[in-house]
Amino acid sequence: MDLGLDQTQQLIQESARDFVRGACSRDTLVNLDRNPAAIADTLWPKLVELGWMGMAIPEAYGGTGNSLTDVAVLYEELGTGPVPGAHFSSGVLCARLLLEAGNEAQKQRWLPQLASGERVFALALTESSYGWLPENVRLAAAPAGTGCKLNGCKVFVHDATLATDLLVLARSDSGIDLLRVDARAKGVRVRPLEGFITGLSEVSFENVVVGPEDMVGARAGGWDALERALLAATPVLCAYKVGGCKAVFEMSVQYSRERSQFGQPIGRFQRVQDHIVHIVNHLDAARWTTYEALWKLDSGLDAATSVHVAKAVASESYLRACDFAHEVHAGIGVVREYGLTLHTKMSRSLYHCLGAPKVHRKHMERLLGLEA
Amino acid sequence: MDFAIEDSPEQREFRAEVRSWLAHNLPAGIEHSVDPRDMNREQYELRRELGRRLGSKGWLYPSMPTAYGGGDLAVEKTVILHDEIARVGLALPPYYDAGGRMAAPTILVWGTEEHKKRFLPPICRGEVRTWQLLTEPSAGSDLAGIKTTAIRDGDAYVVNGQKVFVGSSHGADYSWSIVVTDPKGERHKNLSWLMIPMNLPGISVVPMDLLATGGESGSGSGVKNSVFFDDVRVPAEYLVGGENNGWRVATTHLEAEHGGMGRLADRRVIYEFIELCRQRHDGAAIADDPAARAELVELYIEAEITRLFALRNHWLSHTSQPRSYEGAQYSLRRKLSGLDISEKMLRIAGPRVLTKDERWGPLKGMVEYFQRDAITSLHPGATTDIQRVIISRRIGVGRAEREKAGALR
Repeated sequence: MDLGLDQTQQLIQESARDFVRGACSRDTLVNLDRNPAAIADTLWPKLVELGWMGMAIPEAYGGTGNSLTDVAVLYEELGTGPVPGAHFSSGVLCARLLLEAGNEAQKQRWLPQLASGERVFALALTESSYGWLPENVRLAAAPAGTGCKLNGCKVFVHDATLATDLLVLARSDSGIDLLRVDARAKGVRVRPLEGFITGLSEVSFENVVVGPEDMVGARAGGWDALERALLAATPVLCAYKVGGCKAVFEMSVQYSRERSQFGQPIGRFQRVQDHIVHIVNHLDAARWTTYEALWKLDSGLDAATSVHVAKAVASESYLRACDFAHEVHAGIGVVREYGLTLHTKMSRSLYHCLGAPKVHRKHMERLLGLEA
Repeated sequence: MDFAIEDSPEQREFRAEVRSWLAHNLPAGIEHSVDPRDMNREQYELRRELGRRLGSKGWLYPSMPTAYGGGDLAVEKTVILHDEIARVGLALPPYYDAGGRMAAPTILVWGTEEHKKRFLPPICRGEVRTWQLLTEPSAGSDLAGIKTTAIRDGDAYVVNGQKVFVGSSHGADYSWSIVVTDPKGERHKNLSWLMIPMNLPGISVVPMDLLATGGESGSGSGVKNSVFFDDVRVPAEYLVGGENNGWRVATTHLEAEHGGMGRLADRRVIYEFIELCRQRHDGAAIADDPAARAELVELYIEAEITRLFALRNHWLSHTSQPRSYEGAQYSLRRKLSGLDISEKMLRIAGPRVLTKDERWGPLKGMVEYFQRDAITSLHPGATTDIQRVIISRRIGVGRAEREKAGALR
């Protein structure tokens, strides 16, 4: 047993911390929040240059083939920003999905360009009947020549505005297919959603023709491949949320020392202390469930239950840690320049991503043998 | 990272060795009473016998140095021992020995060489059973406000006062006790620790009638007691850690008590309860109700988080990592989740969780006992409020200086 980071992981952690401190100052992130399109020209080249888009990709396809725990150590630090962008969608989720689903030629064609940052992939799965289960996939892949044609709409798609390529799940006669679609192709329209939400869009398809070379893997094999990819990618997203919890924890502790009322630091009041105790409890619950799941995956153990626990816990922990941080910060917390609301908004935007807590709890019912 | 408690061939071999050793050395006739108060003298003696057998191998206090009767085992093997003992429904030590569990690491840090040689080997070899005596009728959370005095008189300290919520059924050999050695001294600078032999004249032990024992399953502690000291003369050399230095010594003791060591193999009742809800009787199972299924998942998640906090603390303490708020965090979680879990059990399974009736009470009364024990567990080793205070101080909420965790070896 060793719950510490190994040497590689310590180096990853250090360089990720340097990156967040250097390139992702609070002002930078607040500005990018107002103008997300600028991410592509400012943050993206740096993330790519550091080699991070290839971490989850094997060397044979142009990556560095790191373990999931290595990747998670990076994402925990990115989560402290929170560093926005399509890094998770492309470098982890779609990378894993292409690895799970793609044939050899497809992997050779797309993964090296994904690792080098030339291509940015995003996953288009959810629709108006929102959910991360196969029955939620209704978009039709209508037969058209040797390929198919898409007409319809995906919504709450993460990072589509920054993507060059979309991996689309669509329903054909034989089952759920996974299709690669050029995000800038004629008939594809990406419309960002405004509001208390970060990085989510509506993606509509109008007579978009997909050739047979863009059918990723076998026909009707889309959902199985997705499930395998989700198992690996989910705890990495959890690590990002752990980083978010860590950031709001540190902000809150700092503020409890600096802010003075009634002639003393507010952290001297036990009511305020209680909020921070809640935050650290959420932080550590998310942290240890996440890293145990990662360890199981990296060790080839059955990790399904642990992954579902981690996702349910991390999603709720991030959201609640932000809420408690707002109780500590009061007025200043909702001033956008202060930066806390970047996390608050992110915690909401990622709450459902890869399945809401209730979905993961449903999976657990099955895995614990509780179904009738 | 490596969460495995069994990953190398050497460790697998050790687990097999422990398992086979237990198969041969577990005294015949050990029974498990759900309520520790039901453990009779004979059962207690069987546990002590097992303790001595474990002690002779250095397995009773496996992480203590061999020089003092421990096993000097690395974290992985210690975890395996805890795990295997838990598999047979016991804890390590297999009897209530809170005095030993807290005093041994404390003496290791604060005792003289003579203290270590005198007190540690009997504890580690299972030759003695030790209680811890802290709380008094007027001093619970405010430990520094105790009133039991130990006044130096020649070669002894004369002890007078009353301690409450002490120990177990079937007596003890020693009482590891915090006392006032300077009644006129400044607060926090007037305390000391005494290892008091329980056979000295002037000590009386009176059982208390409590709802339950409070979070000591597996160790079978039994009833709690009031202990009265009436002009008890304790040899001066039984004072450990320096006269009037007791508050500093207490930081180590409390660190151990507040969960700094991490308890493993906890919350077995949850896994058994889930199994219970899965079972079908006359075609129906408790888990057929969707609301029950949802709550069972919550129980499982809570059990996982508590287990992982314990595992982390175990790793921190047994690899001498710097620790801060983690002990109190685990303790707080355990206490609060106990209440939450007991309420969920009540909702899921109905009034049957409130009875230990042979016909109607589930899991041989284990669930009924959990209902009582979750509430009783709120106070031992500091209340939830005190745990929150400790966490905040260690984190440095409202203060730049972070309070340090008590030294553990």
